[in-house]
Amino acid sequence: MYFENIAALINMSGHGVYVWSSVAVTLAAMLWLVIAPLFKQRELLQEVSRDIQRQQDRELAAKTAALSEPNEESN
Amino acid sequence: MSWLSRFFSKLFSKWLPKESSNWQWFYRLGSPRWFYQRSGQWLPWVSLAALLVLATGLVWGLAFAPEDARQGNSFRIIYIHVPAAFLAQSGYFIMAIAGAIGLIWKMKISYMVMKAAAPIGAALTFIALFTGAVWGKPTWGAYWVWDARITSMLILLFLYAGVMALQYAYHSVDAASKASAILALVGTVNIPIINKSVDWWYTLHQPATIKLTSAPSMHMDMFMPLLVMIVGFYLFYAVALILHTRNEILRRERKTSWVRELATAKAGS
Repeated sequence: MYFENIAALINMSGHGVYVWSSVAVTLAAMLWLVIAPLFKQRELLQEVSRDIQRQQDRELAAKTAALSEPNEESN
Repeated sequence: MSWLSRFFSKLFSKWLPKESSNWQWFYRLGSPRWFYQRSGQWLPWVSLAALLVLATGLVWGLAFAPEDARQGNSFRIIYIHVPAAFLAQSGYFIMAIAGAIGLIWKMKISYMVMKAAAPIGAALTFIALFTGAVWGKPTWGAYWVWDARITSMLILLFLYAGVMALQYAYHSVDAASKASAILALVGTVNIPIINKSVDWWYTLHQPATIKLTSAPSMHMDMFMPLLVMIVGFYLFYAVALILHTRNEILRRERKTSWVRELATAKAGS
């Protein structure tokens, strides 16, 4: 290592605050760039499967309605 | 707008790939489903490579490279500032080229890549501007200066923002894509201005450290970690672009049977 110890690495002879804040902001932005789309992907797929579920529910309801209607008339 | 895309198609028709030739891969690449499945296989490997290369470069640059004789340790910001600025500009070319391919060959996937590239490029431009400002304080004594390089990078940020905003300015996806592509193409004028700004208006920003045409202006011990970081940023860019493009595919293809099957499979597991 170029520095004598960890404290010197953190301090960087007074420039540490500039270097490390740059590193922190950069890493945060880069993490956001890969983590946000992963969450978004899950959300999108859940949305699609909810749509499918809703469509199936509607179809089922329509079928049961069609089945029960003639019964009512015969009574 | 359509006359412009007709003009581009005519201009490039000579080089239009023929459907039944060696260009089949080009058309397959244009299939969102094919891209989604393939990129899913690439993703873990590219991510792993990006992580390893970035970690190596960062530790090397921050802890092992010697300090600069004039700037001291603040110069270590170069290891994120330069790669981010590099990719902010390369990313702009990628976005503009994707837009051009969309205009010329009407390839669906290329418009999705273009849309995905905009927020990534904007974030990288922001990183370059932020780290530059922080670096400016100990070096120039000010966070912000209206220097030509900094101003042209700020314009780059606005161009990215413009492409992002145009995506939502139209009801029709097709119209939004075409308008964004044209803005992206017109905006490429800014890239050579950014590149030349340090030579044309030599004020505060130091000239380029790396040039294709000459040896780097820094010592090898300092230059090698920078090179590693640039490679790492390219790999990271690939990961981010693939992830954002995959989401755009899901968004636009959500009515197709393959996306519905995928969603059902994911919900079941």
